[in-house]
Amino acid sequence: MYNLLLKELKLGVNPFFYILPLLTGALMLIPGWLYFLVILYFCFITVPNLFGGYKSQNDLMFTGMLPVAKKDIVKAKVALIVLLELLHIVIAVIYGLISVRLYPNLTYYFFAPSIGFWGLCLVMLAIFNLLFIAMYYKTAYKYGAASIVSITAATLFAGGAEWLGIQSPLVHDLFKGSGADSITTQLSILFACIAIFAIFTFLAYHIGYKRFLKVEI
Amino acid sequence: MLVLDIKHLNKHYEHFSLKDVSFQLEKGYIMGFIGINGAGKTTTIKSILNLISMDGGEIHVLGKNITQHEVELKQEIGYAFGDINFYSRSKIKTLTNVVKSFYRNWDDETYRKYLKKFNLIEDKKIAELSTGMKVKYSLALALSHGAKLLILDEPTSGLDPAARDNLLSIFQELVQDGEISILFSTHVTSDLEKCADYITYIHDGQIVNSAEKEAFVDAFRLLNGTKEQLELVKDRLISYKTNSFGFTGLIHTKDFEPSPGIVSAIPNLEEIMIYYSRKEEAYV
Repeated sequence: MYNLLLKELKLGVNPFFYILPLLTGALMLIPGWLYFLVILYFCFITVPNLFGGYKSQNDLMFTGMLPVAKKDIVKAKVALIVLLELLHIVIAVIYGLISVRLYPNLTYYFFAPSIGFWGLCLVMLAIFNLLFIAMYYKTAYKYGAASIVSITAATLFAGGAEWLGIQSPLVHDLFKGSGADSITTQLSILFACIAIFAIFTFLAYHIGYKRFLKVEI
Repeated sequence: MLVLDIKHLNKHYEHFSLKDVSFQLEKGYIMGFIGINGAGKTTTIKSILNLISMDGGEIHVLGKNITQHEVELKQEIGYAFGDINFYSRSKIKTLTNVVKSFYRNWDDETYRKYLKKFNLIEDKKIAELSTGMKVKYSLALALSHGAKLLILDEPTSGLDPAARDNLLSIFQELVQDGEISILFSTHVTSDLEKCADYITYIHDGQIVNSAEKEAFVDAFRLLNGTKEQLELVKDRLISYKTNSFGFTGLIHTKDFEPSPGIVSAIPNLEEIMIYYSRKEEAYV
């Protein structure tokens, strides 16, 4: 599995996509922006390009010929997605820390880059992973429909969360009111979201693997 | 010892089926796998590599079932696809470094030896290689991980005569020691006349014949005669063509009874393939 992941990192991913998080992350410096977008750029740009590359380079056939188990083929791709997602989040978090220090007295209409907000980003990516990976492995090469559905769902989640943050007193309080100052509340939200991310991504892998077994390469 | 043993392979698609495909390849030989485009060569090869699921039948490579020992057997199988490119914008060096990490028997020394022998330059990108060089690169990879069975799908298609001849000589060299076996699909039958020991002919998803080259050709006769004589043998011919002088037709040797005036000759592989593929048309 490890050599397959290395294969993805060396062959599958254009170095541009390792730099992209630095560029999209810098958008965290826009005061009071809709910060979900920073992470969504991974779904908008990296994923379709990455999987388009796999398709044009005949990766499915190439990997299918290697002495590796089908299970590991799916596992490595899922691991790669998670790795890139974490890269985007970690870099965005760093820019976020700079952002809150740059504008200490800003009133945020949308979510501020708080610990809880990063948790919500993970849930957004969890939804994205579940839909994208499960749909992609129906064919293991068609990424268009999977991208459209998963991106739409992730965007709807982000929009819904922002709407609740404004409309719902409970959510508002958790993320922007008294909850924002409580480190316990924020960490609890984060851990719950990490758990959701882990469960959804594992489920995505499991469904993807089951579907991949039926794929004719 | 059998390197490859295919028994009753069946695979159904909406518009095409492999029907009861069976053939065997002995260790240390080259088998030509021939058939017209769309006859089922690539589907059979994909089944051998467990890239597609079989609807029925069994495939054993080096005595082991491919579906049960896929990962282990793929260590022993080398491949070259004439018409498919992988990561063509990457350098040979980059691709090799990735590929070698998957093979436990990878030997760098052997790899260097073949790079030199095949004049492959590591800094070149795959896209910069000619068709023949791409096949040679695939061979260099396969041989460096100690592949015992080489599966080559149309490796000589699109090659010029010199490159083709060069590649065929390489194939013959490889099997000389008796360790390596080659299954080689092609529709360019002249390649096989030069280097194959066995011929397996597939037509419309079914194996017509799988035999030693001489025996394979000997199972058919090409007949020439007048239009009147055609009437005598018409029913037994696989198919025939008529012209102003008379007819030319293909017949199974077992169905042929010498009769005065009809000239019989041993056909070449191309003639067998051409007349066989006319078989359906004749009844339309």
